[in-house]
Amino acid sequence: MSNLNILYVEDDPRAAEAVRSLLDADGDRLAWEQTGTGGLQRAGAEPFDVIILDRMLPDIDGLTIVSRLRAAGVGTPVLMLSALGRSENRIEGLEAGVDDYLAKPYEPPELVARLRALHRRAAGAVHGAVIIYGAFECHVKARTAFRSGRHIPLSPREFALFRYFMENAGETVTREMLLRDVWNMNFDPQTNVVDVNIGRLRRKLEDGFSSPALETIWGAGYRLTRGE
Amino acid sequence: MNAATPQRRRRRSIFGQLTAASILIAVLAVAVLFAVTLLTVQRQTRASLSATVSTDLAGLIDIYATAGREELLQRVNDRQAVVSLEGRRSHYLVADGAGRPLAGDIAKWPPLDAARSEQGFLALSDGTKVYAQGARLAPGLQLLVAREYERDSAAQTMLSGAFLGVGAAIVAAVALVAWLTARHLARRMDAVNAALGAAADGRSARFPARSRGGDEIDEIAAHGTRLLARKAQLLKAYKQVSEHVAHEVRTPLMHLDNRLASAMQERPEAPGGPLGQARDEIRSIAAMLDSLLDIASAESRRGDLAGLAELDLSALARSLAELYEGSAEDAGLLLETAIAPGVTMLGERMQITRLLSNLLDNAIKYVPEGGTIRLSVGPGPRIVVEDDGPGIPHDQRSRIFERFSRVTAPADPEGPEKPGHGLGLALSKAIAERHGMILHLGDSPRGAKFILEPAP
Repeated sequence: MSNLNILYVEDDPRAAEAVRSLLDADGDRLAWEQTGTGGLQRAGAEPFDVIILDRMLPDIDGLTIVSRLRAAGVGTPVLMLSALGRSENRIEGLEAGVDDYLAKPYEPPELVARLRALHRRAAGAVHGAVIIYGAFECHVKARTAFRSGRHIPLSPREFALFRYFMENAGETVTREMLLRDVWNMNFDPQTNVVDVNIGRLRRKLEDGFSSPALETIWGAGYRLTRGE
Repeated sequence: MNAATPQRRRRRSIFGQLTAASILIAVLAVAVLFAVTLLTVQRQTRASLSATVSTDLAGLIDIYATAGREELLQRVNDRQAVVSLEGRRSHYLVADGAGRPLAGDIAKWPPLDAARSEQGFLALSDGTKVYAQGARLAPGLQLLVAREYERDSAAQTMLSGAFLGVGAAIVAAVALVAWLTARHLARRMDAVNAALGAAADGRSARFPARSRGGDEIDEIAAHGTRLLARKAQLLKAYKQVSEHVAHEVRTPLMHLDNRLASAMQERPEAPGGPLGQARDEIRSIAAMLDSLLDIASAESRRGDLAGLAELDLSALARSLAELYEGSAEDAGLLLETAIAPGVTMLGERMQITRLLSNLLDNAIKYVPEGGTIRLSVGPGPRIVVEDDGPGIPHDQRSRIFERFSRVTAPADPEGPEKPGHGLGLALSKAIAERHGMILHLGDSPRGAKFILEPAP
């Protein structure tokens, strides 16, 4: 897992400190800017892997910063971290050019997972017709799944889930990512619907094996194991 | 297509009506003027004929009185060839008491009483039209003087022709000017109307600029511009307040949550421990606040088409059904679908997803094991989520869409409290109305039946 170079624009020192200690523990580098102007300048001057942006900054509104960055041709993925977490606020963020939107209060592991996912997406990993990770094999064209050479029968949606985990092998996948990328849904119902679907896939992947296939990352989501 | 799009009926334009009225008034004015003129001319002609004939008659009577019967007969015969200065040819008849001709060029005494010196328009036996007056000179002698008036008729015909020509030109001119004015006004009014319509639908609206004169239409446009500015300002103020409320409440909650998270790291507790529960409650408070603000936001944008886009309802419903199928199965329920292909609507994808999720969540929450939930999507669009669970008790049906209202199942009044704040249906209803639709309870023999369809 590569370490990320992250810019955080946030006026609240306590919020910034919480993120810093979180990312320090993960080995990432965090540059903190307390004002929108400072953030805008720094984002244009230095290359970052991901930018975390607070929305309500005292000088420039976070949405304006994103628009200006995009207009200036800065394509660095932006995660907006905001106390405004309603669906309406998310839509506004996404329309302004934000790549992901996380509401405060958030689960620290989820923030980390999302930052990594953003970086991966920006890096644009290309997958072949067969994805292999540990004991798992995913034949994309044939839409078949194998664990340790044994075929695992999956429904089309279960296969789509499995494939998503394979494409993000070894990484934490959040519920929102699954809803967005597997069910094409930009809204999190806040119930356990995703967990139920994961549970069903997990049962199929683990049926007849002694080691787990999917592990739950508390507060963030799920991660595919090597299955060995 | 979506029924939320307002249908614009073609209205009867007041400008068209004004044009028609102007033409009608012009036609009437010309007709009245023509009638009055014609009557006056006719009266004048008659007076002039009457005077001429009377004068001629008086002259002949004078001759008879002074020179006697033979002289009169002689003069009458002489005068027949005379054409007056006005171009009116004269005709005479001197007859005996029984009307038999003695002199003159009129063959037969007309129906005029000579004793009463009657006069009037009449036709001679050869068809010539004349104005004539008779007089009784002596018991066995009567005199008739007649004048042709063909020239006067010709003049009247010319007058009529001139009137018709000029009248038609006036009417045409009035029609043209009225039409041009009406078209100009109608275009300006249409621009104002279009802007008002756009503003009402929440689309971007621009009122036309002031014309040179600054008339009533300009005033309406100016008021419209002010109204738009005021609406924008109110929306902005509302948004600012709700954002600040959300921010100011969420920020301390987040700090509290961070502290609890640190505490949990220092002293790990088993799942379901007090710190974990406290963190869950913090999330629950934030979610409730968001729901309340979402309801307010959806209500404030009721009927507003801004931000709506065409969305494939069939695909969305299928995706949701697949997402919820597992949850239904785990709860021992069957989730059936009847989704017509290609049903679309104008909507906010996230909001419609939320509405349908709420209905499915509710059904899964309230329908006991072994039950069936049915999601159907049909053209209209008409979306129905029904189940064969305990249903909504009759006394609660009217208030289930209110904020903080929770359904208590009659079969299970002591049952465990279902999680949630009782805001889901209030939010669903507000989302429906924001899309120009209604969410209501349908009649169902058993279970609950929620219907989402375009507002009537």
